[in-house]
Amino acid sequence: MSRSLRTAAAALAALGLLTACGSSGSGSSADGGKVTVTFWDNNAGPARTPLFQHLIDEFEKANPTITVKYVGVTSSEVAEKYNTAIASGSTPDVGGVTTALLASLTAQKALVPLDELLAKSALNGKLSANMLETSKAASGGKGLYQLPSSGNQDVIWYRADKFKEAGIEVPKTWDELFAAAARLTDKSKNQYGFTIRGGSGSGFQVLSEAYAYSGLASMFDAAGKSTVDDPRNVELIAKIAAQFKNTTPEADVSNAYPQMLAQFQANQVMMVHHNLGSTKDVRTALGDKVAGMLLPSGPSGSSILANPVDGFGLFKNSKHQDAAWKFLEFLDSHASNSYWNENVGQIPANTEAYADDWYARSGITKQAGDALNSPAVKLVQPPVHLPQYSKITKTDAEPNFQKVLLGKMSPAEFAKAVADAFTKAQSDYRAKNG
Amino acid sequence: MTTAAVPLSAKSTRSAAGGRPDLGRIGRLFLPLALYLVFTVVPFYWMLLFALRPAGSTSLLPWPLTFEHFDTVWNGMGFRVYFQNSVWIALLTLLFVTFFALMGGYALARFRFRGQKLFLLALLCTQFVPGAMMLIPLFNIFQAFDLINSRWSLIIAETTFQLPLAMILMSGFVKNVPVELEESAMVDGCGRIRAFLAVVLPLLRPGIVAVGSFAFIGSWNNFLFALMFLNDPELQTVPVGLQTTIGENTVDFGALAAGGVVAAVPVVLVFAFVQKYLVQGMSAGAVKG
Repeated sequence: MSRSLRTAAAALAALGLLTACGSSGSGSSADGGKVTVTFWDNNAGPARTPLFQHLIDEFEKANPTITVKYVGVTSSEVAEKYNTAIASGSTPDVGGVTTALLASLTAQKALVPLDELLAKSALNGKLSANMLETSKAASGGKGLYQLPSSGNQDVIWYRADKFKEAGIEVPKTWDELFAAAARLTDKSKNQYGFTIRGGSGSGFQVLSEAYAYSGLASMFDAAGKSTVDDPRNVELIAKIAAQFKNTTPEADVSNAYPQMLAQFQANQVMMVHHNLGSTKDVRTALGDKVAGMLLPSGPSGSSILANPVDGFGLFKNSKHQDAAWKFLEFLDSHASNSYWNENVGQIPANTEAYADDWYARSGITKQAGDALNSPAVKLVQPPVHLPQYSKITKTDAEPNFQKVLLGKMSPAEFAKAVADAFTKAQSDYRAKNG
Repeated sequence: MTTAAVPLSAKSTRSAAGGRPDLGRIGRLFLPLALYLVFTVVPFYWMLLFALRPAGSTSLLPWPLTFEHFDTVWNGMGFRVYFQNSVWIALLTLLFVTFFALMGGYALARFRFRGQKLFLLALLCTQFVPGAMMLIPLFNIFQAFDLINSRWSLIIAETTFQLPLAMILMSGFVKNVPVELEESAMVDGCGRIRAFLAVVLPLLRPGIVAVGSFAFIGSWNNFLFALMFLNDPELQTVPVGLQTTIGENTVDFGALAAGGVVAAVPVVLVFAFVQKYLVQGMSAGAVKG
């Protein structure tokens, strides 16, 4: 046999190795009485994945007949992954679902309603009522399709050490905050009192600031017209825009969360508006030098724009729904939910965790939790049930807000564009869904 | 008057008059090159710096040196498995793409058949179709064949997507091999296959290396198909593993950089050793002969 033929034969033999790439199967399975439940984490990453792995180990120890297969999906890719899985009928048994994803998943009828399961569960009556309300609202108010696990809340991280040095009290109103920002700004030292989110995520952030200022209780009036362009909201948007380049860095026009946080950690800005999701980052970077405050109020009182609630959904295609629900009950049990939220720095959904020591000592997390769960607080539900929600708040609003910062669009025009889009989307939604 | 071509390396950076350095020439040639080098090397240095210095350090030198991030990604985050998976998938894609490109490229170069131009146009047009557009149809097909959550899905998808360009490239290489060589072999008694294996194939070595390298790198870097078709962490590949170092609010920069180094090593090796073939591959068929 010639050398060339031997080479060809070797190549064919190598094809034999292809068996090494065989299918390992997918989805849930039952093997000798053992059930495998597939769980997709909707926000895998270095902070969360090890926590889930710990909880899964604990669950498997307590339930030896159930194995949980963890699949980490990053938050930036999860919507695409779910949509592909739904389109092809290969969804997991259980998946992490934030309220931001819920409308899309329920519209595709991918999830199981959980109302009855929860009513019969030991968890009944132990989950935050406001979080359950947010979960229901996010899926159009037609039922509970998400078992909430964590509440988030917008907060302002501030440099407690710099405030103390300058003798500034923690602001209670937006005007006090702007005054503090002006006092803490020293452009010669590249130090600014505040930072504006002008890049990705700015749409939701500026709305949450506006509603905290206006104190409005709903994003729609009784006739279904959006309240975003209410003069009180416009007033705050104008005040925020006026801070640009005066008490904030010029780069803010395109800055998203990572850049804002980097500026905060590098002593360039003294206050940064984000949410409890960054608790670990700011505490790790700045320790005791940093503290958190809730969004200040305006002249008409304060309201809170509900943040996405994180939680879990049970998928219709699951062949082991009993085991999957058992896993969800475990994740939301007092011990698991407390462990989870202590480590991610968010508000537990399981109200029994509010008595835990870590929560009582958590400072801003408890403050935000108290506010979120207080019946006196106006919790404004963003219309995440609208299919156009992301387009309106991100694709359309973000570039427009940049125009506002650059003086190319007035705050009133910006607010009207958002309001008109919400009004139309809500009207379309009502016409279709009643 | 004609001027003899002087190889670049033979030109001196010293002036013709004597031993003084030709500063003008140095400035024109080496300064832009040095700037370009900085531009290309700094990102790699930055990645290595984050990978080799302790978390939280702001030092511009990787000192104190630590390999904790490599340990984290390799052992803690499963990159050992991701790397093995990526190697398997990329190697098998390379094998398939090269094998079919050889056959297809040879046919395109040596035979005339009805609709050949249309076929070539179709091959080119496949390059305009983004992978994301094919995701759902591919997903359904693979599911029907029970290939979801199997490395096969990636190998087949990657081979299919890379084959058209690989065939076009390979046909350019085959055209560069004089047909008379094959004809001589056939006059001497070889059949077409034997003539191809004995005469053409050895001369196609640069083409095989170029096409194989493109296939390897394309498959190694693919993120979308791996994310969508594979669910089991034990089957995942390096690009998907890298993504998991970035959380919504938290980025493990040390792990990201160490993972980046792990991901870059095979690609850098491929480029370092087969660069000249790659350049040939990219320009194959570019000159009308």
